[in-house]
Amino acid sequence: MSDERKISERYRELPLEEPPRHLDDAILAASRRETRSRPAPLVVPSGRRRWYFPVAAAAIIVLAVAVTVHMERDEENLEVAEAPAPATAGKRETLTPDPQPAPAPPLRDLYKAQPAQPAPEAPPPPAEQPANRARAMARADAEQAQAREETRSAAAPPARAASDRLASAAAVASPEQWLQGIADLRRQGRHEEADRQLAEFRKRYPDYRIPDAIGGTMEKR
Amino acid sequence: MEAPGDEQLMLAYGRGDAGAFETLYRRHRGPLYRFVLRALKQRSAAEELFQEVWIRVIESRTRYAPQARFTTWLYTIAHNLLVDHWRKKGLAIVSLDAEDVALESANPARQAEARESLARLLQAIEALPPAQREAFLLHEEAGMTVAEIAAVTGAGEEAAKSRLRYAMAKLKAALGDE
Repeated sequence: MSDERKISERYRELPLEEPPRHLDDAILAASRRETRSRPAPLVVPSGRRRWYFPVAAAAIIVLAVAVTVHMERDEENLEVAEAPAPATAGKRETLTPDPQPAPAPPLRDLYKAQPAQPAPEAPPPPAEQPANRARAMARADAEQAQAREETRSAAAPPARAASDRLASAAAVASPEQWLQGIADLRRQGRHEEADRQLAEFRKRYPDYRIPDAIGGTMEKR
Repeated sequence: MEAPGDEQLMLAYGRGDAGAFETLYRRHRGPLYRFVLRALKQRSAAEELFQEVWIRVIESRTRYAPQARFTTWLYTIAHNLLVDHWRKKGLAIVSLDAEDVALESANPARQAEARESLARLLQAIEALPPAQREAFLLHEEAGMTVAEIAAVTGAGEEAAKSRLRYAMAKLKAALGDE
């Protein structure tokens, strides 16, 4: 080892040869040219700008989560609107999912004629549904005629306006909400309007099975 | 504040920091130049090879990944270029360890200078077989261990150890009468 150290020491005494200046200049110029011709790949910067990328990434994540949550809430609202549920008299129901295993009707069917919604009861046998529909249609025609006559005998303008509003609201409301509105009219003693609305309801939803809890309030007192 | 390491400088250069390369270059230009010069023994060929080493470093800046020490990577590039040079000279790899590698013809003037020990040392280094000379210069100029010499040259550690030991023995013999 001492011999190797001696050799190393003698080697250090040799002249320190250095590359000529023109080589240094050429190599450094090439290094600078390379950075100008080919920009660096997109990487996280260093130094004071280091915080840019984490903040930007965090902002994107927060935005994505917020949009996703918002969309999920919208979907939940639609699902709640689609699923009919029994309403107890005198209070706005919180709609519960259809207990039947049948899938919820698609959104485009929401304001079409609904098949019988059993809710707490079993649905009628398929053979009975055409008969129910015929009876409902006949009833609706009769009630509609009666309702037109009654409205011509001058209901109060505010009540008519209210019923018009109710009718226009019914045009966009779910069946359950419409029935609830009719129940409210009954409780307020506005039977003529309630009858008219009921006739419109049955015309639009001839196969809709009105639950007994609500049906009891539906009939003219 | 601690100076940035070679690997950090090279990564910074890969991100476009030309100043990082300049720092790296000034740190290693002398040892690498002497390594190449004394390995090739011809100044013009050494300058050409030296420049080529750095051009390859520059071209690799975006692909550089610090899988080993920067010096190991730098001198591996230099070694590969040396091997290409020796191959072009007609020297097969196996002959790089040969004992009887011919020296450049010694002129009388150089023989006179050989009396001086440093000149003797330099002559002795030039007389070493290429593989032993390279191992010695990597040890002296780049400060490499036997393992690092093995990694750069692609030889096993035992082969690198033998080359270095033989080189030392010959140089010791050349300085023996001191």
